[in-house]
Amino acid sequence: MKNTVLYLMIGCLLAALPGQALAVDGNALLRQVDANLQPESYEMYRKLINIEPDGRKKEFVFYTAKKGKDRMVALFLSPASEKGRVSLRIGDNMWLYIPNVGKPIRITSLQSVVGGVFNNSDILRLDFHVEYDVAAVIDQGDTWSLELQAKTRAVAYDRLKMTVDKKTVQPLDIQCFASSGMLIKTLHYSDIKDLGDGVVRPAKLITDSPLHKGYRSVMIFAKIKKREFDDEVFSLEFMPRVDELR
Amino acid sequence: MIRNMPAIALGFCMVLLAAGISRAAEDDLDGFDFDPDAFEKKSLQWGGYVEGKFEQFSYNEDSALYFLNVRNTERSTLDRTTGTLQLVGSYSIKKSSFNWLLKASASQDQDQYDDWANIYEAYLRLRPTDTVTVEAGKQSYKWGTGYAWNPVGFLNQRKDPNDPDEDMEGFVSLETSWVRSVGSTLESMAASVSILPVWDGVNDDFGRKDNINLAAKLYFLVKNTDIDFLYFTGDSRSSRYGIDFASNLATNFAIHGEFSWIPHADRVVLEQNGELRVEESSSASFLLGMRYLSEQNITTILEYYHNGSGYSEEEMSRYYHLVNEAQGESDPTVATLLLEKAQTVSQNGYGAFQNRKNYGYARITWKEPYDIVYFTPGITGIINLDDNSWTLTPELLYTGFTNWELRLRYSLLNGADNSEYGEKTNTDKIELRIRYFF
Repeated sequence: MKNTVLYLMIGCLLAALPGQALAVDGNALLRQVDANLQPESYEMYRKLINIEPDGRKKEFVFYTAKKGKDRMVALFLSPASEKGRVSLRIGDNMWLYIPNVGKPIRITSLQSVVGGVFNNSDILRLDFHVEYDVAAVIDQGDTWSLELQAKTRAVAYDRLKMTVDKKTVQPLDIQCFASSGMLIKTLHYSDIKDLGDGVVRPAKLITDSPLHKGYRSVMIFAKIKKREFDDEVFSLEFMPRVDELR
Repeated sequence: MIRNMPAIALGFCMVLLAAGISRAAEDDLDGFDFDPDAFEKKSLQWGGYVEGKFEQFSYNEDSALYFLNVRNTERSTLDRTTGTLQLVGSYSIKKSSFNWLLKASASQDQDQYDDWANIYEAYLRLRPTDTVTVEAGKQSYKWGTGYAWNPVGFLNQRKDPNDPDEDMEGFVSLETSWVRSVGSTLESMAASVSILPVWDGVNDDFGRKDNINLAAKLYFLVKNTDIDFLYFTGDSRSSRYGIDFASNLATNFAIHGEFSWIPHADRVVLEQNGELRVEESSSASFLLGMRYLSEQNITTILEYYHNGSGYSEEEMSRYYHLVNEAQGESDPTVATLLLEKAQTVSQNGYGAFQNRKNYGYARITWKEPYDIVYFTPGITGIINLDDNSWTLTPELLYTGFTNWELRLRYSLLNGADNSEYGEKTNTDKIELRIRYFF
């Protein structure tokens, strides 16, 4: 009897501890987060606003197409100085096509095409479950905290800490860490709404970084639509012609 | 040295400051709405830029090329102002489009006015399926993976390594390309075939006239590596073969390379006796390069280029000797004859830029140092590894004002007598370029 009470007490204590929630399948939860953010193959429009500490802004608009796990392309529509630029991602490979240069050049995921806080891997982000494994899930009441570990060294951020809203199974914020443990940036999702085609998700993503104190980047998502593309659309040959998809 | 350099640099900073102040005043913080319908695709799309450029050259009055090209001037520097308009656009109907790139420029210096307008590109593109594309008309080719040079650029116009990203005039051609995604170790592959005629008034700067040439490229993406096999045949230029590659070894480190082989390359050589002779030999050229991004956001590009058809130091010294002979000749008639001969030699390859055997290239750019967003200082260096002459070009680039680009550059050239950069027309140059995109 004494032992039974002791076990019950330990059980209650464990239940109250935040780290006990490995009962939740973290990888399945991450897949659900991805599925709620966007279909696996889709097209969408995004506006990116870089905000400087004094409030000055620079805006970029781009069209994005994605197919399957790891094929993605982004075409800059505005401003005029960037119009026609195309970034392509196939797995860990990334290229940039600049109309003046006239040929795709290989770029690295940590480079920034637009300047400011966003780098190339932020703009051509694949589904989280494609690049990360869930190392831990912590129940925080209304939210889960997911510790994500990069599957390979080719991924831009070695570790992510994602807070997921239990009710909507949408991310609220994500902290991105380098392999050294340094916090590189934090993403804050907000403004959940129907973006079309039945996709209900945060329409706004605000990013800040301790490496760029006072700077923020805001990404606004719109017109997300399920769409199937030929594989050949995601090729170097097709980069000058991405606008034909619209 | 440049006389007005401090004034130009100060002007650059004042323009930045003035534009920053005016922009700050008109910004508001409530710009988070987005209407994607405003970006719906239209059949007719066009844009381009207007550019103003001010350059000041300091002459190298002791150099061979100064004597050959600008000996009659009395000034030690030359100021030039240039205005350029570029128009680019397309008209699309379903999967077909007509595309164009037009350029016009006017420049004025203390000695002369010059203007020109040219169709850089104008071609029809048909895309019967997502895998097949046919393009016909004037278009530019950018073969190769090198930044500064492209030994496999068999259809490329020669680019300026100091400004390799500038658009180039194309060639009239018919190109068919096919692409296929595989999705295994071999991710994708593509093939293209181009037909390039050379007739009177059509591509006549490409090579020998009245010939139709053929070029082909086979591309593979194997895991993280791009590989191209390239081929050119035709009577306008001798046949040639090439291979290139580019690969990411890490998220911040990429390597690239090119190799070309010309079994029967023609080369004009100046003999000891002063005669020009066409020499035929095989020629192998190659390029190896890397691109590295540091944690501080500093991008370093390094390249080594071996030009198999390049001139040796001895061959070039004959050319310089010919110019010096003309310079030292007291009889005006003989001097004129020698100068005319030197001009002919120059036009047959000796006057072309970067026509030697071995070069090194380095470009270092620091994106947004100290949190100054959209600001990129950089420096580019090119060294002739045979004679150790070099050019160094520091620059400041600012793109923080929407659709404006400001670039300030200073180029210094240095080398001994009879060396490539020691015998150039100028010793240094400063350039301020302002572009507005629309």
